[in-house]
Amino acid sequence: MRPRALTAFAALAGTSVLVLTGCTGGGQADQAPAADAAASPEYSGTLSILTKFAGDPTGPYFENLAAEYEKLHPGVKIQLIQETDQSIKDKTKTLTASNALPDIYFTWTGNWAENFVRGGRAADLTGVIGPDTDWGKTFSPGALSAFAYDGKNYGIPLYGNGKFMGYNKAAFAKAGVQVPKTFEELIGSCAALRKAGYEPISFGNKDGWPALHYLQQLFAYNVPTAAFEADLKPETAKLDDPGYTKALGQFKTLVDTCTDTRSGTNGVLYTSAQEAFADGKSAMYYQEILEFDNETAKGKLDPDDFGIFQLPAPQGAAGDPSIVEGSPEGYLVNAASPRVPLAIDFMKFVTSTKNAQVLSSPPYGQPSTVIGAVTPETSSKAVYEGIELVNKAPKLAAWLDTVTVPEVADTWLSGGEALITGSRTPEQVLDSVRQASAAAK
Amino acid sequence: MRAMSRRAAGLAWVVPALAMVGVFVYFPLVENFGFSTLKWDIFSGSQKYVGLANYGKLVDDPVFWKSLGNNVLYTVVSIAFQVFGALVLAALIEGVRSERWPRALRAVYFIPSAISLTVAGLLFYFIYEPNLGVLNHLLQGVGLCGLRHSWLGEEGTAMPAIIAMSQWQGFGYSTLLFAVAIQRIPREIYQAAAIDGTGPVRRFFHVTLPLVREMTGVMIMVTISGAFQVFNEVMVMTGGGPNNSTQVLGTWLYRSGFVRNDFGYAAAIATVIFVVTLAIAVAQLWVARRRRVEW
Repeated sequence: MRPRALTAFAALAGTSVLVLTGCTGGGQADQAPAADAAASPEYSGTLSILTKFAGDPTGPYFENLAAEYEKLHPGVKIQLIQETDQSIKDKTKTLTASNALPDIYFTWTGNWAENFVRGGRAADLTGVIGPDTDWGKTFSPGALSAFAYDGKNYGIPLYGNGKFMGYNKAAFAKAGVQVPKTFEELIGSCAALRKAGYEPISFGNKDGWPALHYLQQLFAYNVPTAAFEADLKPETAKLDDPGYTKALGQFKTLVDTCTDTRSGTNGVLYTSAQEAFADGKSAMYYQEILEFDNETAKGKLDPDDFGIFQLPAPQGAAGDPSIVEGSPEGYLVNAASPRVPLAIDFMKFVTSTKNAQVLSSPPYGQPSTVIGAVTPETSSKAVYEGIELVNKAPKLAAWLDTVTVPEVADTWLSGGEALITGSRTPEQVLDSVRQASAAAK
Repeated sequence: MRAMSRRAAGLAWVVPALAMVGVFVYFPLVENFGFSTLKWDIFSGSQKYVGLANYGKLVDDPVFWKSLGNNVLYTVVSIAFQVFGALVLAALIEGVRSERWPRALRAVYFIPSAISLTVAGLLFYFIYEPNLGVLNHLLQGVGLCGLRHSWLGEEGTAMPAIIAMSQWQGFGYSTLLFAVAIQRIPREIYQAAAIDGTGPVRRFFHVTLPLVREMTGVMIMVTISGAFQVFNEVMVMTGGGPNNSTQVLGTWLYRSGFVRNDFGYAAAIATVIFVVTLAIAVAQLWVARRRRVEW
């Protein structure tokens, strides 16, 4: 090679380096063009969707819909990315950081969805799903408003969800225990259930968030609502209400009195706890509506023996005993997607009355947010009862790990684990959360 | 002139490889350091320069120090088991007079190393499970009920339980490497030592140990370096919990970035891991350059 050629070669290599590094630098989110959500869809190309339905029994739901939609529109290919409840958080953030979000992606309500809206990554769908639109009118207003920010609608609510104590009626009858009306009665019933041969409450906290679900409901009961809501945002948080330490103490009492694993509960998978209840080994299991049909699917727990009740509030608690923990879950449309109208068309197909009823029925058992989809005929008794309680609740408390900022949620999570092992007192846990909240301002 | 031209042509052949290494290895390192000086919001894509604030945050972060401590604990135990323990075992295996047994034993000890860390982690998760796990059932079976634990659910036992699994998984590989090193020692040296009246223990300390010094040095460096890059087994078995008691630098980096959305801070942790492992790699090179033992 001649020196001149060498120079040219080296220059080319150097330029390649600069070009490549230029591609990886920056990290700015693509400035999302204002997508025309109301435009007519063009039925061609590949539509990518990130769902939270991986595994049984929900896995086939989107697979079947995708196949059906592709059949209706042969020019369209649906690319499904199905994740589990645990893995979707990491997957979504990885795709966000690398500016590779799919056309449609799963979201929780609260701070989780708000981050995507604030970052300009969620298309404004007010014109097509706002409360006054034809499509918007098909959803329950509460579910629709849960995804509204600053008066604009961004999310497509797919199903409602709430957390309830599932109980085995046969176990309660054998132990001579009535459905508890107060938290104190719940704790008091555990000895009788244990004597009758059952683990009173099966609980697995390996992933940390199951403890947050107990805590969030207990906070709603023990902390006055205004203070509780202000404390979720670091800018307004004080976290000085005595209700917090009371709730943390109640949670510790429940773990120590009503579970067999007690301080070792952090070593149990939540699915193991779910299995223990489904197998009739435990008398109670705190669960989401989405799990109800799973409990009876194995056939060991008779659907007639499966009952639910709201986690009872402690006597004289300063918060609101009518608040139910739960929130709808749904989907956002990527604001940078070149196929926003097609994405909306597909989601209209997903939330049609027919498909909403399929979603609400066994084996899926995900109570659709579409009005009229959940009926005693289409859904199991427990799912219907659960969603009715959610719909009647004057206020919902969304999941603690998605409603507040991640640093604070993560501190609550490790605090819940520490409370279970007994390595920290309620006061110490609250103090660490206070510090995390102050740092997140 | 011709020699210079040939050197230049040779250099030209190397340039693409250098460019690739530069882009895919060194540039990300530099870029990572750049990220560690930012407050980065992945949702909006906004990046704000904060200087060395993320490094200052490291100093005040108790979980970072806990993670570093766990990495050090991991290192110490791994050196004890995977270097010195494996060396003793390899010497025992190679000391067996039969031809067949050493081969079979090497295979037996090596099998766990053929299992991926993720699979091994899952396997041990179920061994350690408090209700259904084999370990607690075994302890109960032999009347040691008081020793039963929620091994991965208690802050005091979770990290030792993970480290124990890791030793089980990596022990056989180190043993195999030491066995190969011992096989290279001429038999005549052992025979001469035996004629001089030395027993097996003295032969180990005065023949085997000095003659596998080079391999021992390399193994120590590889083990330390590996111990600071631990990630999979912790993620699978505990995810860093309970109460961050099993966090190591790798998992705390991951949690800071992907759970707490603090990617700048995560990059600062990555820089610390890089500096530690780079120092170890330099030490490794230094050890490797020392005069080899000749025989």
